[in-house]
Parts: sequence; C-alpha cells; structure tokens
Amino acid sequence: MSDLHIASVTKHFGETSVLKGVTLDVKDGEFISLVGPSGCGKSTLLRIIAGLETPTSGTIAIGGAEVTQLRAADRNLSMVFQSYALYPHLTVAENIAVPLQMRQMTALQRLPVLGGILPGARTHKDDIAQAVRHAAEMLEIAALLDRKPGQLSGGQRQRVALGRALVRDPAAFLLDEPLSNLDAKLRVQTRAEIAELHRRLKATFIYVTHDQVEAMTMSDRIAVMMGGEILQCAAPDVIYEDPDDIRVAEFIGSPKINVLPLERNGSALMLFDQVLNSHLSTESPKVMQMGLRPEALQLTQSKPHLTGRVVHLENLGSEVFAQVALDSNGSRVTLRAMPAQRHRLGLGAQVGLSFDLSAAIIFDAGGARLRHVEGAVTCAPEVA
Amino acid sequence: MVVLESSVAADVTKPKTDNRPARAGWGLVAPALALMVLILLIPIIVAGVLSFTNYSLGNAGFDWIGLKNYERLFTRSTYEKMFVATFTYVVTVVPISVGLGLGAALLVHSLGRIGDIYKTIYFLPVMATLLAMAIAWEFMLHPTIGMVNRTLEMACGTWFEVIPFFAGGCADGFPLWLGDRDYAIWVVCFIGIWQGFGFNMVLFLAGLTSVHRELYHAAEMDGARSGWERFWLVTWPALGPTTVFVVTISCIRAFQVFDTIEAFWPQGGGPNKSAYVMMFAIFEKGIQQNLIGIGSAITMLFLLFVMFLTLIQRWLVERKVHY
Ligand SMILES: Nc1ncnc2c1ncn2[C@@H]1O[C@H](COP(=O)(O)OP(=O)(O)O)[C@@H](O)[C@H]1O
Ligand SMILES: [Mg+2]
Repeated sequence: MSDLHIASVTKHFGETSVLKGVTLDVKDGEFISLVGPSGCGKSTLLRIIAGLETPTSGTIAIGGAEVTQLRAADRNLSMVFQSYALYPHLTVAENIAVPLQMRQMTALQRLPVLGGILPGARTHKDDIAQAVRHAAEMLEIAALLDRKPGQLSGGQRQRVALGRALVRDPAAFLLDEPLSNLDAKLRVQTRAEIAELHRRLKATFIYVTHDQVEAMTMSDRIAVMMGGEILQCAAPDVIYEDPDDIRVAEFIGSPKINVLPLERNGSALMLFDQVLNSHLSTESPKVMQMGLRPEALQLTQSKPHLTGRVVHLENLGSEVFAQVALDSNGSRVTLRAMPAQRHRLGLGAQVGLSFDLSAAIIFDAGGARLRHVEGAVTCAPEVA
Repeated sequence: MVVLESSVAADVTKPKTDNRPARAGWGLVAPALALMVLILLIPIIVAGVLSFTNYSLGNAGFDWIGLKNYERLFTRSTYEKMFVATFTYVVTVVPISVGLGLGAALLVHSLGRIGDIYKTIYFLPVMATLLAMAIAWEFMLHPTIGMVNRTLEMACGTWFEVIPFFAGGCADGFPLWLGDRDYAIWVVCFIGIWQGFGFNMVLFLAGLTSVHRELYHAAEMDGARSGWERFWLVTWPALGPTTVFVVTISCIRAFQVFDTIEAFWPQGGGPNKSAYVMMFAIFEKGIQQNLIGIGSAITMLFLLFVMFLTLIQRWLVERKVHY
C-alpha cells in the first residue's frame, strides 16, 4: 500500500510564505494532478513530498508511515524533473541503471574495475541490465541505450528520465512539469503515453503542471492550487462543472468561463436590468457573480438575455468561438457555436444570447460558490 | 566560413573563372597569419636553429655544433639536477595545488555568502606579486630570526618532542630552509602551492556554477545518500573539462616557475643547485652567461614538454570528458 497523506503542510522561505497549510490525501494507484498558475507553490509541494525540501510545519505519510523526517533517498519515491536532470556523462543505459546500482550494490561493488570481481557483483549486474532493458522496451528507447543524453532529442530525453524513474518499483511517481519542454504535438502524444503508463503500472502518480488541459485529460483527480493553497481537489468533470471557487472556474476551461455581475433586488435576481428569477431568499447577498461556460450560451433571436456585437472570431474547424461585446456594459463574453451557425456570426454582427439558468454557476462577491442560491433559482419556476 | 561558402558557390556557377573569392579569403586571413608567423613561429624556429650552434650574443658568427648542446643536457650533472628539480616541483605542486583548489572550491561553494570572504582570502596570493611575497617568505624562513623557526622552537620542552623532527630540531637546531639543500626545493614547492591553489580554486568555482542544481536532487532521489556518492555521480564528471584545463594550466605554470628561485637565490639556483629549475637554467645560461646555444636547447626541450602536455589535454578533452 502506498497511499499518501499530506497534512497541513506549510513552507516559508524566509519571510515569504509559499505554502499555507496544504492537506491532501492520495489513494494508492491514483493519478493526481497539482495544477495552478506558475509560482503558486506546486513544485515546492512536490519537493516536500519527495523529501528534497523540509516543510516548515505539517507532516507527510506514505503507506501509513510518517516520513517527514526521512531523507529523500529513503522515501522510495521516483521523480521526473522539468529539466530531465540526466547525468550527461553516462549513457542512456547507465542513466537508467543508476537508481538500481545505488540501492542494490554496495559502494565497493560499484567501483569501476575492482567492483566487477567482487562476489555477487556479476549477478547484480545482470539483474540490473535486465531491468534496464525491460524499462527501455516499455518506453521504446531500446535503440538509444548506448547514446549519451547530449545526443538525444527533447522527447527522447524525457523518455529516458521516465525510464530512470520507473526502472525500480517506487511507492509513487512524482512528475514536475515533465512535458513543458516539448513541442505541442509531442506533448499531446506523450500525454497519452504517460496516462497509458499509469494504467499499466497501476502506480500512484503525482503530476505537477500549469497546463489545465494536461490536468483535465490525464488525472483521476485534480488539485487546483493557487497562492499556496489547494482550492479544490476533485475529479476533472467535477472541477469543471461544479467548482467551489471562482478562481477554480476561471483557471480550468479554455476559453475561460464568462463572469457576469448579478444583483439581488428584494427577492428578484437581476442581470443588468433584467429579472432572471424572483424567488430569491432575502438572506442571499446583494452582489453576486455568475459564471457561464462558453457552451452554456446560445444564439437566439427571440427574448435574448444578452445582446451584443461580435468583435472577434476563432474558427477551430469543429467549433467556433466568438467574442461578443455586450451592449449592457461593454464587457466581452465568449460563446461557443457550431460551424453551421457561422453565417450569423460575421464580425460586427448584432447577436442575441440566451442561457439556461441551471447551467449558471453563482458565486458571491468574494468568489465563493453560492450553491443555495443556485438551488433556489433552478427549483422555482422561471419568470423571465 | 562565409568566405569559403561564397567561394564554393562561385565555383559551382562559373566553373572556369578565376578564384577571386578564394584570394579575397586569403587576403582577409593574411594580417592574422603574418602576425602569428612573425611573433610566434619565427622566434621558435630561430631558437630551434640556434640550439644547434654555439652562438653568443654580440659575436659576428657561430659554428654549427650539431647535437652537442643536447648531448650536454643529458650528460652533465648540472642538467641532471635541473631535471630533478623541475620534475620534483611539477610532480609535487600540480597534484597538491589542484587537489587543494578543488577542495577549497567545494567548501567555498557550499558556504554561500560567507564563501565570498574565503574566496577573496584564498585569491590574495594569486594577485600579489610573487617577487614581493618571496621577500616576505625569506624573512619568515630566516634560520635564526625567522618566524617559522621561532615558532617551531616554542615546541621544545613540550610533548611535541616525541616527533623525531622536533627532537632533532631542538637538539641540533631547526633546518636552515632556504640554505639547506634537502629543504630548499620543498620550500619552493610549498610557496608554489600556496600561491597557485587560489587560482585553481577560482577556476573550479566557475566550473561548479555550471553544474545543474537539479542533478543533485536527481542523485538524491536515485539513492545517493552521502555527499561522497553525489560527488562521484554529479560533481566530478561535471568538472571533468575544468579539471583537465586546470591540470594543464597548473603543469605549464609549474614548468615555468622562476621568480621564487630568482628572488631567493639570484646566483645559482639554490644550495648545491637543488632548486635549479628549467626556467632558471634558461635565464642563467642564455641571459646571464650569454650561452645562447645551450639556452636555446633548454628552451626547445621546455617547449617540447609544454607541447606534449597540451596534446594530452586536447586528447583528453576530445576523447574522455566530451559529452
Ligand atoms: N529555495 C527557494 N528560496 C526562496 N524562494 C523560493 C525557493 N523555492 C521557491 N521559492 C518561491 O516559492 C514560490 C513557489 O515556487 P514553486 O513551488 O517553484 O512554484 P511553481 O512550481 O508552482 O511554479 C515562488 O514564488 C518562488 O519564488
Ligand atoms: Mg515549478
């Protein structure tokens, strides 16, 4: 069992507080992504899990045993670094063999010439060569085993780094933005391969990325981090459809979610000067925000909730994203339309937009989710 | 490169025309080539030619004496002493100053802010003129009033006398250092190390800054528990090119040792010629005694050593530490 418990971990670098109490449970075999904008402390958290950094407070436990005081080499975790961190003087085979040599052979056995004649060294060597070959075949880099890292492309180096991580059987794999140095096409391909690898190994993966698409496509669960805190940790569809915080809603999803101001006037819910619903409890806050995904907006001619002018179009072939400047306050919303509707979306065209209130995600002025307001407005019969 | 490429292009398009671009290329290279021949190659060739003669500066002519100068180098006991002194110096100073330089660099590198102070202190002897420092050392090493022997004498009468060196020193007096033929070359070696390792340290420090920090973390994750293991796995291989360079530079500097010996023993190269190194021999024969022929012969030999070292360095850089 190698489940992981991170309990109220904080980290300060001098005066600056980088992690402000992070708690996270990772189940055995789970693929969990830490996603957030750069500088939010993802790498720091991963390095604390790895043991390369000590937390200011809080504890880490792996498989039920506390490891907070244990050094990185003794935690049985593997890590893939953003820069790959391959040993430049060793061949690919030697690079992959390092973790095994360091753990299975004594310092004497590792000596270049003398080590070879010591008892046991032979069998160790054969076992290690076997394991290296196996890992290389799994990653399809068997043909590269004799090359030095300097002779490899970025994608190949990335595989070697993966090979070095999976050649032994660690409690968990930690990956720190492993795809960020690859070009877009290779990134998509490697993304699928890492997900595949996870399914095959059934091991625990903790995957750090600033790219929400990577997180959405690969993970069992996503932990969205911002400003040194985990805002929400849930399955990708939950994070997308049911965010707890407006920052989560804004970070996940591309194009970004549309945010419109709402107001409560007595028991009426107002969007600009329109009543959307009049059954609101008077305890709800006066000022609110409404999040609407681009796909929640529809083009309409009769009784539009919003009207505006198309100011920008992005045609992706299978779908069209249009930015519409609203007549009410000039702010822009993004709409997702089907290619068939393109003729209505010429630049500068006047359009009407409507939406289903049940698709709206409502937050208070500070950004916290207001589920009870949503409940009230979707259950009650609509007036508007 | 550009010149070459354009000349190729010209050849392809107009196969039979004059090769003007090539000539332009030579014209552009000419100044550098001329300077190189003039100030590097000609003096060496002249010295090579002179090493087969008995020329003295001011003489109208000279006689060809064939290999006599070289024969002398390998038969006379003075020159045997020269080789012994030179190789003793090189073999002692190079490994120790490189080792100390590396050790100091690793320590200073691990210190952070305070390291800068150490860096400055260790680098001081490099910046100071060796001639001036030699005078200071001469004072300190004076047999009777020097700081070194005064300090050693304080150990007399204490348990230090168990050590044979102190026992002998207290009974018969401590060594004369610069006046003692058993100690003279070692004192010179010591000063060479003292003066040179700071320079090596700075070179190693430059090498250390280029080691990627994540490599140490990777080594730690891979199970390298001790600093020693991480040193062998990451630091030492990364310093390979630096080390080759430092060793070569140190060797050449060691072969060139001169000013300490000139400052300590202006006449003669140490007691019983025990510190009669090559550079000093060149200076003494070629300049002081105006025996240009033999001086040139030693110079040629000196160049041979340096050339040999440089070739080894090139070979190592290309074969062993290249990645
Ligand atoms: N060793 C360190 N010393 C001081 N500040 C650090 C150190 N490591 C990281 N930080 C700071 O911590 C913050 C988070 O860093 P990091 O975890 O690398 O962010 P992320 O990986 O999410 O981009 C950054 O503002 C960074 O400047
Ligand atoms: Mg990072």
